[in-house]
Amino acid sequence: MDWVAVALTEDVPAGVVIPSRIEDTDLAIWCAPSGRYHAWSDRCPHRGMRLSHGFVRGETLACIYHGWQYRENGSCDYIPAHPKLTPPSTICVPTYACTEADGVVWVSLHQTDSAMPDMGGRQPVRSMPINLSASDLAAHFGAEDFTTIAVVSDHDVLFAVQPCTDSACVIHALASPDADRSSVSRWLEDLRATLEGVPA
Amino acid sequence: MNAAIDNHWYPVAMISGIDAPRETLLLGKKITLGCEEGTCWVKDASGNALPTVERFGHLWTSPGQPNRDLFTIPEADSPGRRLVDVGSVKVKCSPLRAVENFLDIAHFPFVHTDILGAEPHTEVDRYDVKIREEVDEVWATKVKFFQPQAAKSAEGGITTEYMYRVPAPTCSVLYKTCPPRPGEWDVITLFVQPLTDEWCEVWPWMALYDDDSTMSEMVSFQQLIFMQDRSILENQLPRKLPLDPGMEVPTQADMTSVAYRRWLKKIGYTYGAQLVAA
Repeated sequence: MDWVAVALTEDVPAGVVIPSRIEDTDLAIWCAPSGRYHAWSDRCPHRGMRLSHGFVRGETLACIYHGWQYRENGSCDYIPAHPKLTPPSTICVPTYACTEADGVVWVSLHQTDSAMPDMGGRQPVRSMPINLSASDLAAHFGAEDFTTIAVVSDHDVLFAVQPCTDSACVIHALASPDADRSSVSRWLEDLRATLEGVPA
Repeated sequence: MNAAIDNHWYPVAMISGIDAPRETLLLGKKITLGCEEGTCWVKDASGNALPTVERFGHLWTSPGQPNRDLFTIPEADSPGRRLVDVGSVKVKCSPLRAVENFLDIAHFPFVHTDILGAEPHTEVDRYDVKIREEVDEVWATKVKFFQPQAAKSAEGGITTEYMYRVPAPTCSVLYKTCPPRPGEWDVITLFVQPLTDEWCEVWPWMALYDDDSTMSEMVSFQQLIFMQDRSILENQLPRKLPLDPGMEVPTQADMTSVAYRRWLKKIGYTYGAQLVAA
């Protein structure tokens, strides 16, 4: 598992931070005002508060608990309780490779040289959580791997799948540029109801 | 049985709120409690009576054999104070995380914005912390902080002085500058009932000088503050309080929390604590 989709870029505009997860790793995904995306461990080194509850200020992400600010490389830049202190470089949030392509935010939890999955010119439609593991979802479509699943339907849809728990994943759905987004969205919800065994 | 954990007094109810016998949890075990003809009782799951103390408007019990009396707060007995039963809030966090948050002032500008703190007044000056060996309590004194609205009775921003005291592992007493009565201290406590090691019921209680606010205004003020704290407490990782100093990074502003963690370790109080890094 190299690159995993964690969000659509339109859902994480500049200045916004959201929680996300890949299997057992909790993540804070944020977009700096510059437009650069970041995926960090969702835990402030100070008192363990989830950084995804924090706020973007300038080109830093600040923790909501005590306002500690972290630069884009994850190092602590400012501790409000001690405004004159230069924080030691050892105070650092673990960061992961994160980049944007085709309107999707991709994260790799380990160093990788592999290229981003090819979306074939499709464009993002929406993200949709589903109560089904990523591997069960892949198996349903006969795909070998869940990273990208091409779905033959009227809409030429492609799924980039984010594994979350043993019983949940998030589908980031893309479709051809001329597809009608709202009908793709309705089709996705029907699919979810079918896969979860819930009457639509 | 773990004497270091069981032999303490724990709050289990607000006395004025006991209308019928009920079940609750203490340290992960079921207990029942009630009040009849002015006397409160607590029983364990086998029906054995547990010791009780009625103090500070709350009912206290212990699953073990407490080797000392429940602490007292002499300041709260002085005449003219209003005693406020705030009620309770259940929080999905370690009881120790709840106490530690209560001991922290550096979060005021960010969590209790424009009430207990506001940017740019974020600096925490050095204060004194020590473990008072003779009473085996953690004390922080000379804690000062600028507050836009320190209490319901405060008009405009003032620099508030605080003293913090940890007289029992899941209890803390805060003494703070009293806006209408310079020279006196308002008393605000946090009594924490450990339901389990990751779930607690928090019973704040106050003894204040405030002749103007109604009881419900004082209760609402404190509940608002605690709702803001809960949004933090339920989102800290790990849920248990790490006692290994290598796990989280404190600064000088966290001296009280550092002393609290060290004291818990010293007395062997591990319920709701995480001992190994994760």
